[in-house]
Amino acid sequence: MAVCIAVIAKENYPLYIRSIPTEDELKFHYTVHTSLDVVDEKISAMGKALVDQRELYLGLLYPTEDYKVYGYVTNSKVKFVMVVDSSNTALRDNEIRSMFRKLHNSYTDIMCNPFYNPGDRINSRAFDNMVNSMMMQVC
Amino acid sequence: MSRPPGRKQENHKISRDLFVLTYGALVAQLCKDYERDEDVNSCLDRMGYSIGIRLIDDFLAHSDVKKCRSYSETADVIAQVAFKMYLGVTPSVSCCSAAGNEFSLILDKNPLVDFVEELPAERASLCYCNLLCGVIRGALEMVQLAAEVTFLQDRLRGDAVTEIGITFLRKAEDRKHKRK
Repeated sequence: MAVCIAVIAKENYPLYIRSIPTEDELKFHYTVHTSLDVVDEKISAMGKALVDQRELYLGLLYPTEDYKVYGYVTNSKVKFVMVVDSSNTALRDNEIRSMFRKLHNSYTDIMCNPFYNPGDRINSRAFDNMVNSMMMQVC
Repeated sequence: MSRPPGRKQENHKISRDLFVLTYGALVAQLCKDYERDEDVNSCLDRMGYSIGIRLIDDFLAHSDVKKCRSYSETADVIAQVAFKMYLGVTPSVSCCSAAGNEFSLILDKNPLVDFVEELPAERASLCYCNLLCGVIRGALEMVQLAAEVTFLQDRLRGDAVTEIGITFLRKAEDRKHKRK
């Protein structure tokens, strides 16, 4: 259902970025990069308003004519950005939330791997399989 | 430094995740310190040995096992009592030699590798759980049984199962002769 999924580190460089191979990948990279500004804006806005109740799921960051971009930030400031096809209107908020939850769980599994250094690019087969399962449903 | 008597009945459980992550950090640090896999493996074995020579007394104190009469009984006790007590898994035992002094423990679930998906490419011959081999070797040595313990198969290295091979080096009958 997603056309592009990216994991961005705290320092705002990509740890993992994967998009549907048929489309122009650079366009998605650019979309994700520009969405980081919106993420930062949401984080700073939320921080002042509700300090106790920090929601991890950021919701719809911004819609373009073809795509919608959703964001999710963890407590360690690692961001997950998901680009979804606009024509897929059947996708509800709950489904996006559950997809982000699955991403977060897989990310924590990777962090627990003793051979993974935080800040490295993500090279895990299990993570790839999980992301594939989220992206293949488009076809 | 003996423990106060009231503590004997308490079962102090620590988090399994903490233990697995600590072991993982240990192996990762050893990989950073040593370049060759053999050095890391032998270091893990030495550490396991020093744990084993101390753990055996704790094991014998907490479990009610009687003296083992044969190597196969010893292997069974290791698999069914010791592994169950310390790691929570029960490997299956099989004897692989006609002489009766080589056994293999087949682990279908190894809690120590819970979070490790696969070994990094440059560490292809690392025995991640070599500490366990050292522990078994040290423990057996303290009960006067010399043994060689190695990993015959390892799921992390691509094999189908994880298999630990125990080879007892001296026959028990020799000891009985000496006593007589």
